[in-house]
Amino acid sequence: MIRKKIVISNKLGMHARPATLIVKAATKYRSDFKIAKKDIEINGKSIMGVMTLAAEYGSSIELIADGVDEEYLIKEIAELFASKFGEE
Amino acid sequence: MKKISVKDFFEEKKKDFSLSLITQPKTINRDITSEFLNRPGLAFAGYFERFSYQRIQVLGETEITYLQSLSDEVLYNNIKEVFVYDIPCLIVAKGLSVPAQMEFLANEMNIPILCSRLATDKLFNDLRRYLAEFFAPSKTIHATLVDIYGVGILLTGKSGIGKSECALDLVERGQRLVTDDAVRITMIDDLLIGRSTNDFGHFMEVRGVGLIDVAKMFGIQAVRRNKRIDLQIELMPWKDNMDYERLGLSENFVEILGVRIPIIYLPVSPGKNVSVIIEVVALNYILKRYGYDAAKEYTNKLQDELNKKAKLRNSAVVKNDIEM
Repeated sequence: MIRKKIVISNKLGMHARPATLIVKAATKYRSDFKIAKKDIEINGKSIMGVMTLAAEYGSSIELIADGVDEEYLIKEIAELFASKFGEE
Repeated sequence: MKKISVKDFFEEKKKDFSLSLITQPKTINRDITSEFLNRPGLAFAGYFERFSYQRIQVLGETEITYLQSLSDEVLYNNIKEVFVYDIPCLIVAKGLSVPAQMEFLANEMNIPILCSRLATDKLFNDLRRYLAEFFAPSKTIHATLVDIYGVGILLTGKSGIGKSECALDLVERGQRLVTDDAVRITMIDDLLIGRSTNDFGHFMEVRGVGLIDVAKMFGIQAVRRNKRIDLQIELMPWKDNMDYERLGLSENFVEILGVRIPIIYLPVSPGKNVSVIIEVVALNYILKRYGYDAAKEYTNKLQDELNKKAKLRNSAVVKNDIEM
């Protein structure tokens, strides 16, 4: 299992478009993928789940991947966050 | 170019338009090639600029009264000048009779004159509707057309994907079947109208069972003859890495006969209840038409929440508060 802490760096926060990008990227992998924020932990492959987190600009979340391709999954998702989803 | 001969038109629509033939039968072999109608009043008065002679010419009381007011000589010349043009036919409304000279010239010059008992306005409108439909662009496609809560849904997808079975399930749930397997689509007034390619009734082939008669089996309320097509649902086999629509914020469109309608790509897998999803698609379509878009509503709420929280965090950081 891999865990990785991330701070939301795009101004609009994790709204519908980033949520869709995350879920689409994550569903390509076989590993289980969860995102945690404070005491909430959701399935990172479910769009409603990801949106439920309502992770705003500046808040921190944790990516949790578990499975055969966990490294690749975390790498791609982390890159998505780093690119600010192509936003400001 | 589509066309119908005056003879076929007369035989076919004699009853609907209460038509009778005034001229001799030999005059009737002309072709109708235009979906429009013309009132030839100005032509009979000698004005031929932009005279739409290729259209069916409809004569009402105005034209007939005008012709009757002319002296014999003028009448003869004016009619002759009009009949030089290649006119498909004249239709006189209200059961009015035409001047004897007109009938004579029409027989001589081979122009058919029909008489209708309908009032001019009614004849004009009915004729126009009939011609618009006859000349409308159309095509036949491999699909199943169903009416779900009044929304016309065209089900497409490869053979064996389960279009017919899906339609059957929908019919059992109280929805209506228009036609299975082949849909004849006609474009009328920028709308797509779908119907069966024949008049045999609502038959359907169910794999492993054979032919069934849906109207007999489920009752007349389970079927309808034609329906406006509002959207298309393409059934496709489930693929793991396929990019399916998740939120419904973006819409895909498909063009049929130049008309754009929304299309939804619906993955099908064994044990999945496609009928319920199709009903949901129809209901969501109705909600959107009434101005409520669930995807927009939810994502707007989310964005508001995100903005509010970001603002709060910002002011907390400014006050040198602890991390949230």
